[in-house]
Amino acid sequence: MTATGILMGLLQAALLLFLAPLFSGFSRVIRAKVQSRQGPPLTQNYRDLVKLMKRQQVVSDQAGWIFRFTPYLSLASMLLATLLIPILITQSPLGAAGDLILVVYLFALPRFFFALAGLETGNTFGGIGSRRELFMGVLVEPVLLLVVFVMALLVGSTNLGTISQSVAAGVLPLTMAFWLSLAAFAFATFIEMGKLPFDMGEAEQELQEGPLAEYSGRALAMMKWGIYLKQLVLVALFIAIFLPFGSMVATGGSPITPIGFALALIAFLLKAILFYFIVGVLENIMARMRFMKVSAAAWLALGAAVLSFVFYLAKV
Amino acid sequence: MDPIQLFLLAVVIYGLAALAGWLIPASNRAGETNLARQVGGWLSLLASAIAVLSAALALGSASTPTLLLFPIDPFGSFILQLDALSAFLVGLIGLVGVGTSLYSLGCDPYHASVNFFANIFMAAMLLVVTIANTFYFLVFWELMTLVSYFLVIWQTENEKSVRTGYVYMLVAHAGAALIMVAFLLLYYQADSFNFDVLRQTWLSPGLKNLVFILAFLGFGAKAGMVPLHFWTPGAYSAAPNHISALMAGVMKKTAVYGILRVCVDLLGVQVWWWGFLVLLFGVISIVVGAYYALVERDIKRILAYSSVENVGIILMGVGIGMLGLAEKLPALAILGFLAALYHTLNHAFFKGLLFLGAGSLIDQTGTQNLNQLGGLGRRMPWTALAFLVGALAVAAIPPFNGFVSEWFTYQAFLSASQTPQFAMRVFIPLFAVLMGLGGALAVMVYIKVYGSAFSGPAHSQPAAVAHESPQPKLAAMGYLALGCLTLGLASPLIAPWIAYIAARFARLAPVPVASGWIVFPAAPAQAALSIPLVAVLLLALLLVPALLIAAYGGNRVSQKMKNIRSDVDPWSCGYGYKAFMSVSANSYDQPVKVAFQPIYWLRTLMDEPIRRISAFSQRALQVIRQSEPVVEMVVTRPTQRVVETAGQWIQALQTGDIRVYCFYIILTLAVLLIAIFGRSGL
Repeated sequence: MTATGILMGLLQAALLLFLAPLFSGFSRVIRAKVQSRQGPPLTQNYRDLVKLMKRQQVVSDQAGWIFRFTPYLSLASMLLATLLIPILITQSPLGAAGDLILVVYLFALPRFFFALAGLETGNTFGGIGSRRELFMGVLVEPVLLLVVFVMALLVGSTNLGTISQSVAAGVLPLTMAFWLSLAAFAFATFIEMGKLPFDMGEAEQELQEGPLAEYSGRALAMMKWGIYLKQLVLVALFIAIFLPFGSMVATGGSPITPIGFALALIAFLLKAILFYFIVGVLENIMARMRFMKVSAAAWLALGAAVLSFVFYLAKV
Repeated sequence: MDPIQLFLLAVVIYGLAALAGWLIPASNRAGETNLARQVGGWLSLLASAIAVLSAALALGSASTPTLLLFPIDPFGSFILQLDALSAFLVGLIGLVGVGTSLYSLGCDPYHASVNFFANIFMAAMLLVVTIANTFYFLVFWELMTLVSYFLVIWQTENEKSVRTGYVYMLVAHAGAALIMVAFLLLYYQADSFNFDVLRQTWLSPGLKNLVFILAFLGFGAKAGMVPLHFWTPGAYSAAPNHISALMAGVMKKTAVYGILRVCVDLLGVQVWWWGFLVLLFGVISIVVGAYYALVERDIKRILAYSSVENVGIILMGVGIGMLGLAEKLPALAILGFLAALYHTLNHAFFKGLLFLGAGSLIDQTGTQNLNQLGGLGRRMPWTALAFLVGALAVAAIPPFNGFVSEWFTYQAFLSASQTPQFAMRVFIPLFAVLMGLGGALAVMVYIKVYGSAFSGPAHSQPAAVAHESPQPKLAAMGYLALGCLTLGLASPLIAPWIAYIAARFARLAPVPVASGWIVFPAAPAQAALSIPLVAVLLLALLLVPALLIAAYGGNRVSQKMKNIRSDVDPWSCGYGYKAFMSVSANSYDQPVKVAFQPIYWLRTLMDEPIRRISAFSQRALQVIRQSEPVVEMVVTRPTQRVVETAGQWIQALQTGDIRVYCFYIILTLAVLLIAIFGRSGL
């Protein structure tokens, strides 16, 4: 853990925190375009957040401290993830704190409180949303872990920096196992981002945003920001593991140059925009799915992950 | 003081604490006395603390503290040994014992017998994990089973708990029988009961495998691994609350100790499939335990199934450690045992905490049914906080302790999947994934428990008027919650100690697993984790949203909004809100129940033996009741009649006249003299 590492970590955290609403705004634009609407401007999410920040919070009389604490925690835990994921450099900025397994479990921390907050209020929609959110977790977590394991076995480490470096430097042969892992992880990311056929927890159309239903004012702003950030962090994690090309290689004394930094930033933004674009298009050409049918789709992701593991074993 | 003397002192004080209930006169007719409870509780607290101290001293000493009594005994020597593994277990028992004895101070007075059996239970567990002789091991093992059986059936008027106790008794004894056979087989080879001799004895591979399977299944039954788990939900939910905490948090660990001691230490692992078998049972326990925990309604049954899951996680570490020994990979062996022992300790803390928390709920509301609780977070805030810490820990959420030991288990998996053994490379990653699935389910389980007990509206009258628990109970829960936090945050300090214990136990050279603030799995390149750093960063990052909100005027209410209520009913589409509108525990698990229906097939299958055993116990009772008159008719009555008649005959001799008695004496003398002279063959 070096001074550069800490600096890069803070830069990444600030960057993702302030870019997250923009990327979500981009999703909204894509949705509008696919539906042949004019749509909101790219910066609409910032305006929404500012508007909500100015508003007072109204709280259900059932709610306790967990409900009030969750907005803070969901933002903080995702910010912590941004300190661990190699985004601009092919090294985990605060790699001493933890590895890929920690990052996967860091998503469980806000989920735990998010689901509890849904129950705290005594709101029906909150409760149903919370139970759906956790069910999705049950479906997706095995996929994520299997992919994590395949990548860790290919590289020989769960250290995010090490994984990023081996993929970026081409040390890791881009085998079938790699590509299938990529596919499975992308699918899992799509589900975790809560995109359309899978937006079960905070489904706007049927559950009035589930656990978010009782939030208002500043707390709602924080919750929304937390969700935007979570989506971007998931994309960043995907990029860090599978597509770290273009990031700065900050090992062994090669200094961090302004040009390298700018290139890394542009590379990351391009990759993220591409991912959001594909996700946006996919999301909007698919129909809503019945909740109980979701598990069938998750089997597909698991299938891809298992197949990648089989290919790893067969060394293909 | 010598560690072993301290250890004996702890056992003796437990004995005194057990007697306190009997010795101190009862103040009311039910035999409950506040003074006895206080004395018993404090003595037991003292004994637990002394046990912890003796364990710490034993771990610190270079040699193995040993006490030898009766060296020339028919059953070998009575040897107490505090080697690294035993000391670890003694420490664990003591640490949890501190919590449960503190808790018992705040309980409603139980019958004196609960206090008696609880303390004997503690002493028996301490002796089980230190005795180094198979014969006495079985004696203490049986003692432990028996007293815990009496604790399960403490509500003797409740027929259900008696039947549950019967199932427990039967499974425990079936297990004990297997262990006994294993020990006898060892005895016939070694001609000794002593661990030291058994360790040196050569066994043929076939016999070794047989002994391993017998001992593993025998101890597994006590540990509650699937498919021998079916006694646990009933037994834990029937026992008094702080005893459930001991049974789940500590007694299970004596079974894990048994597996480690007999299968690894005494037999020595030479073939890889032993470890594989342990892993297989472990992974099934994880999945089945997690799924079944989710669909229960009774809070203590949920915790019991969750213990089944956690035993599975412990077995994963044990299995990998055994693999490492068999494959001659010392770092892997130590990593596996480290993960297992760490999770053993963590589980003792968080499951103890959760059972105590559940006990407080039950005592305050009088129900174990989650559907009838609710809203207790507002009425019992401290209990809720402690329970939340336990729930976060058991759900392996960073930065709590459960995460650290699961992280080590994952790392052990990763190291094990790189061994040359092909079967390992195929199955271990799949096991890891199933453990991840269990983790995701555990999150759901504990959100369901916490959510339906502490959040939302109250679902019954007692829940609506419940009060916070008495202070000793809160102190006990606070102590265990702090333990959970410490075991997580101080992991860079604690992990090296446990790795040292694992290395001493496996007779391997220690490997480094921590440096500074960081823990790593033997190979630093593989991964690193720093829980203190994670916690500090998380706290620091909480400032970001806090500052953002502060920048916009904080949570203060603006002047304009003053007259608008900020505290309102939950929104319910414009209708008046009713408590039944909130999601109940019943419906919470619905999606999982539907999506994973086949998994619940085993539960239905397991209901049958349980039903049969209970039916048998009822029949046995009937038979005993019916056979009582038979015995009376055939044995008791005729004997009585014969004795009476004989008495009447003898009465005829006893006239009461002193001269007649003199005559009898002379007659006797004459008969005796004739007999003697007759024998000497005149």
